[in-house]
Amino acid sequence: MNPQHPPEKFILPIGPQHPALKEPGHFEFTIDGEIVKDATVRLGYVHRGIEKGTEARNYNQDLYLLERICGICSHVHATAFALGVEKLAGVTVPPRAQAIRTLVAELERVHSHLLWLGVCAHEGGFDTLFMYSWRDRETVMDILEGLTGNRVNYSANIMGGVKVDVDDKTADTIRHGIDYLEGRTHHYMKVVTTDETFLGRTRDIGTMTYEQAIRLDAVGPTARASGVRADVRVDAPYAGYPDFPVDLITETAGDLAARFVVRINELFVSYQLIRTILDKLPPGEISVRIPRRIPEGETISRVEAPRGELFYFIRSNGTDKPDRVKVRTPSLCNWASVMELAVGHKLADMPMILAGIDPCFSCNDRLIRVNRRGDSQLWSWEDLRRYGIEQYK
Amino acid sequence: MNTIFPVIAILFFPSGLFILASGLVYEFVDRKLVARYQNRIGPRWFQPLADLFKLLAKEEFIPKGVQPGLFVALPVAALAGALTAALYVPILGLRPAYSFSGDLIVTLYLLSMMTLCIGLAGANTMDRFSVVGATRALTQLFSYEAPFLLALLGPAIMAGSWQISTINTYAQGRLWMIVTQPIGFVVAIVGLMGKLELPPFDSPEAETEIVAGALTEYSGRGLGLFHIGRDVELVIGLTLVAAFYLGGLANPLDFLIKTLVLLLITAGLQSLFARLRIDQTVGLWWRIGAMLALAQLLVLIILRGLRL
Repeated sequence: MNPQHPPEKFILPIGPQHPALKEPGHFEFTIDGEIVKDATVRLGYVHRGIEKGTEARNYNQDLYLLERICGICSHVHATAFALGVEKLAGVTVPPRAQAIRTLVAELERVHSHLLWLGVCAHEGGFDTLFMYSWRDRETVMDILEGLTGNRVNYSANIMGGVKVDVDDKTADTIRHGIDYLEGRTHHYMKVVTTDETFLGRTRDIGTMTYEQAIRLDAVGPTARASGVRADVRVDAPYAGYPDFPVDLITETAGDLAARFVVRINELFVSYQLIRTILDKLPPGEISVRIPRRIPEGETISRVEAPRGELFYFIRSNGTDKPDRVKVRTPSLCNWASVMELAVGHKLADMPMILAGIDPCFSCNDRLIRVNRRGDSQLWSWEDLRRYGIEQYK
Repeated sequence: MNTIFPVIAILFFPSGLFILASGLVYEFVDRKLVARYQNRIGPRWFQPLADLFKLLAKEEFIPKGVQPGLFVALPVAALAGALTAALYVPILGLRPAYSFSGDLIVTLYLLSMMTLCIGLAGANTMDRFSVVGATRALTQLFSYEAPFLLALLGPAIMAGSWQISTINTYAQGRLWMIVTQPIGFVVAIVGLMGKLELPPFDSPEAETEIVAGALTEYSGRGLGLFHIGRDVELVIGLTLVAAFYLGGLANPLDFLIKTLVLLLITAGLQSLFARLRIDQTVGLWWRIGAMLALAQLLVLIILRGLRL
């Protein structure tokens, strides 16, 4: 009634519990009719203290703990940590072990991208594609189970190598499964590039320009769909990638349709790479001994997770436990792009824009310090350490 | 005889228990077909009934900030509208229980009561998902209603009557109107899907955006009644389209085959497309649906005018 009263905002909350979200996160969309005017994100519902937890365990135990950061890209976390620790310890891992690491990483990428294809289609209300892509994803899950014994947290890595070997029979099973998946993936490519109703939901939706991608520090397929030529597998090859190079896939459109095309093209690259690795698997040992106590020092380790660049910082103090492990997961880098791209789009596009970066909530929850009574936000390492000890006592 | 007939017609056949039971059966067939199209197993045959009983047995929670009378009455009104509509359509291919000149219009309005009730139910609650869902439900109502009506008018004009039973009789023994008016058939079947908020026209209840849309706050009895009301509408809608476009409904076997074939088509359409945004839905209906239906209507009127 009062003319001076500011117009009330209609805020639509999504999460922490919402059918669109498979993991808890909280988003507030300020909407005007159907148009989103503002978007905010609040994370931190599933903070598990894993970084802190690594400091209380030895390196071998940490490998299995870090694998549980993400249920989808578990292998790549263990690989990043193992590569970093091996660098600190100064051991050289046999080429066969590195190739098998790469093989599992690519199989994991296949499963992750197929999973994303289904989830994103479901967010757009295309349940048929969701059901079919998840059915076919079972093929690669079975391959991973046959290879490592587990469907999700494969535990293929050990310090200094891998613990699973690939024999001819397994290789044939993998080749067979990959052939089937390649045929199916051609079909999905056709669906996402020609289906008119689906293109109506993806074309020119959530478009991120090259400049925006650079400014917002987007990583992974999300950035590559905007034409950013960045892929750790190509820029700084690790594990088996120096011997088995991959093609860099980019698109220029930057919209959701381009992200679909980039990820599906990456599937083809992965299939090709898996075949090459199986054909040219170097002979030899699959692991070397690594000292229990890691020499003092610090290192970074970068790998390309299915969602983008995964960054590990490891500092050791000469004991069998790390002094500090810092993980920066790709989803964390991509959130800023979602919040910026959301503005101006319709509410109905929000789930697909959210899912378009292939978000993983649990892996990017960090300590959040709520600023009470205006106390200092600047914490020294000692403050943080003390807080951590208090918190998890 | 004069008093017993209305009681039977309202409580058992064609309205009442019979239409409720067939609504559940058709819901099962629809769910099973969509599931099989999507390479899933799908529900067991008694699942819709089990769902209904479960909902009816549960507590009905009335949230804060709603008008309680309206909150309780709306599901009942929605179901009552759908059940009343059943009295005027040739269920099982038999003569409608009641029939008068112009009952086609009355039936269509009774069928729209469901959407109106859902819209009101959403607007009645404080929930933000419900409000958005209600806005979308009513927007969708305004977009599909006119083309759907126009599509059903085609056969009515050919038959020269606004009475469903007359049109049904007219359609029998002639060339099926799906052949002579293919555009009308497509508009009618897609309009029916919009009316029932089936995918891809399910943006009023898009779960990934607004949870359950207008019915987010409903639980227990109210939700159960809305669901069964929608099942009844499905049967009536299929009956209408089959009677008008698929050569009329002469006997129960005719009815079963024709409506199930229609259900097969709608289930296929449900699994073929991604969900349309509400602006895409409105655009589709007004730019394409209404124009096509109007064009066909014009052709029909001109043809009739020439013949007369």
